[in-house]
Amino acid sequence: MASVQAETTAAEATAAPAPLLRVRGLKTVFRQEHGEVNAVNGVNFDVRPGETVAIVGESGSGKSITAMSILRLIPSPPGEIVDGEIEFAGRDLLSLSEEEIRLVRGNEIAMIFQEPMSSLNPVLTIGQQLAEPLIVHKRVQGKKAIRERCLELLRQVRIPDPERRLDCYPHEFSGGMRQRAMIAMGLACEPRLIIADEPTTALDVTVQAQILELLKELTRTRGTSMILITHDLGVVARYADRINVMYAGRIVERGTAQEIFNSPKHPYTIGLMESMPRLNQPAGTRLKPIPGQPPDLSKLPRGCAFSPRCRFATERCRQETPELTQLSAEHWKACWVDIDEAV
Amino acid sequence: MKQSDVLLQVTDLKVHFPLGGGLLSRRPRGTVKAVDGVSFHVNRGETLGLVGESGCGKSTTGLAVLRLVEPTSGKVVLNGQDITAMNRRELRAVRRQMQMVYQDPFGALNPRMRVLDIIGEPLVVHKLTRSKAEYRERVYELLNLVGLNPNMAERYPHEFSGGQRQRIGIARALAANPELIVCDESVSALDVSIQAQVINLLEDLQKQLNLTYLFIAHDLAVVRHICDRIVVMYLGRIVEIAPREELYENPRHPYTQALLSAIPVPDPDPAAQRPLDPALQGEVPSPLDPPAGCPFHPRCRFARPECSQRAPVTVDLGGGHSVACHLYDPAVAGSAAAV
Ligand SMILES: Nc1ncnc2c1ncn2[C@@H]1O[C@H](COP(=O)(O)OP(=O)(O)O)[C@@H](O)[C@H]1O
Ligand SMILES: Nc1ncnc2c1ncn2[C@@H]1O[C@H](COP(=O)(O)OP(=O)(O)O)[C@@H](O)[C@H]1O
Ligand SMILES: [Mg+2]
Ligand SMILES: [Mg+2]
Repeated sequence: MASVQAETTAAEATAAPAPLLRVRGLKTVFRQEHGEVNAVNGVNFDVRPGETVAIVGESGSGKSITAMSILRLIPSPPGEIVDGEIEFAGRDLLSLSEEEIRLVRGNEIAMIFQEPMSSLNPVLTIGQQLAEPLIVHKRVQGKKAIRERCLELLRQVRIPDPERRLDCYPHEFSGGMRQRAMIAMGLACEPRLIIADEPTTALDVTVQAQILELLKELTRTRGTSMILITHDLGVVARYADRINVMYAGRIVERGTAQEIFNSPKHPYTIGLMESMPRLNQPAGTRLKPIPGQPPDLSKLPRGCAFSPRCRFATERCRQETPELTQLSAEHWKACWVDIDEAV
Repeated sequence: MKQSDVLLQVTDLKVHFPLGGGLLSRRPRGTVKAVDGVSFHVNRGETLGLVGESGCGKSTTGLAVLRLVEPTSGKVVLNGQDITAMNRRELRAVRRQMQMVYQDPFGALNPRMRVLDIIGEPLVVHKLTRSKAEYRERVYELLNLVGLNPNMAERYPHEFSGGQRQRIGIARALAANPELIVCDESVSALDVSIQAQVINLLEDLQKQLNLTYLFIAHDLAVVRHICDRIVVMYLGRIVEIAPREELYENPRHPYTQALLSAIPVPDPDPAAQRPLDPALQGEVPSPLDPPAGCPFHPRCRFARPECSQRAPVTVDLGGGHSVACHLYDPAVAGSAAAV
């Protein structure tokens, strides 16, 4: 597990406080009959204390596998983390024992999934499921103390009528309520990092807004860091401090929300922005789709994976894979083309 | 002239589903009022958006318009013909004029059929081609129309990406030369870059073939992009209808306002975001047991006693803008209209 990218530069060392999470050169593959799927193909990013970092990209770009790699939840076989470093609060997560990583999961890093039903246990009440991490990780003792703490958690995620809800089963909850319960469970152990993977994709927009506001507020007040994974650029603009744009298993651009939305530098990011109907544009403005289809991750093209769809691609792009390089304090891109000169 | 501008007129449409009381019991346990008295029209050549959160009755409305579910009551008139009064044979003839494009191009396509026969099926059903050669010719033409290569005709759905499958679904819907297409979340499952391709295709086809769309969607940015007028539904009822600009610039119903405030705008400038309606709490109640009076009143920050007592009437605000809310009813004391 070597191959640390040349990204740990002086700029990074001086610009910001030490990151809570540091991912370098992460590669995760799935082995299949007809070859290897390069789901995550050399990913580098940091999460600093207290910030919300987004990972955006279209379906299949490797967002969830990145998150699952961090928590070492990759089903193996067929999956395997084949390279990279994941450093969390000074520890190398990839070298922890099963026992040790289990203590990190749910305790120091909480994960919130898109479909809470699949991560809630249908035969236990919400109260029983909330109590479990408290007993295991936090060693809260005494029936009364546990119940009190559970009620407090439900109140924090604004579940109405918490006394009654504590004894309900997940199927008695609405979608939004289940997601609140998941968040309550995630918060139970006061994690330092929350990984929220499409936490509101299955929910209606009014409920989505309530849940995201709740997450924002909870992370702000507790100084918790968050990785927010989504395909929704609107969500990213509203809730992320910094954004990683992912394409075909790699991060192709990173910057502050301002940089990514107002001066994107990677042709893929630019393409995304032009594809999307925006509420602050004259209605009826013709969309400019990105031509073609996302690549098959088991048959990645040579060079930059976006080059077959890129209107700026040069011969170099079709031969050599560009690494992330720094444009300014927070702005990075992995692209050979100088957009400002090309247009 | 004015009459013929209206392609589809829906009047007081209701679709109620009885909930069975178990396998052997005939007594219904209750009724889901999926659609509960909606009236709207669609002009020829326009795109009418139907928006609202899941479960508010959008799909059921679309299906009832095509009479793919039986309306409980009300009228659906297409091109001056009352569809609700038709028998099977008459219905088959009129079905040619209206088609549906579904959300899930995977589920909607028969996996064992070649693309040729998926697209061509309506041609067979409506006996629109006279020879094998003509049939094949027409399918090739349709493939071209939706931007696919005719040599794809021999392939099967699983060989295509989501965006391509949606194109196949659109080609099939176009086969019988319909006038009205109901698009039920047709672009919702697609990634943005592919979604943009399909939206552009729908827009081009509309111009080229003078199509009329009933466009069902929950993504309000997409709806603003593609629709001329918009109908907002909540729990089986229409709460507001307005032309596009008017709806987004000047939403009147508290639900529409809340819905618009909840859309995250893809712009990091805080000034670009509509402030989130702080009053909007909770979720859509169960349609099995909808609130009395105005269905939105439990979540409405302007709710007053009459809101839980009487259903609001639809108030015409002029310029094609109407709203069903006591706040705007001149007959209700203290309403915005009365002051
Ligand atoms: N269990 C698996 N076996 C094989 N391939 C997988 C498996 N899980 C994910 N993949 C592949 O990994 C890639 C990245 O998936 P994922 O991280 O889930 O994407 P997303 O960005 O949509 O979250 C996809 O191409 C997917 O097909
Ligand atoms: N065949 C059916 N039987 C019983 N209830 C139904 C049926 N179809 C839809 N419903 C119910 O009717 C309501 C409206 O559904 P639908 O029209 O699918 O809403 P939308 O498309 O706006 O999400 C929902 O509560 C749904 O559960
Ligand atoms: Mg995912
Ligand atoms: Mg629907």
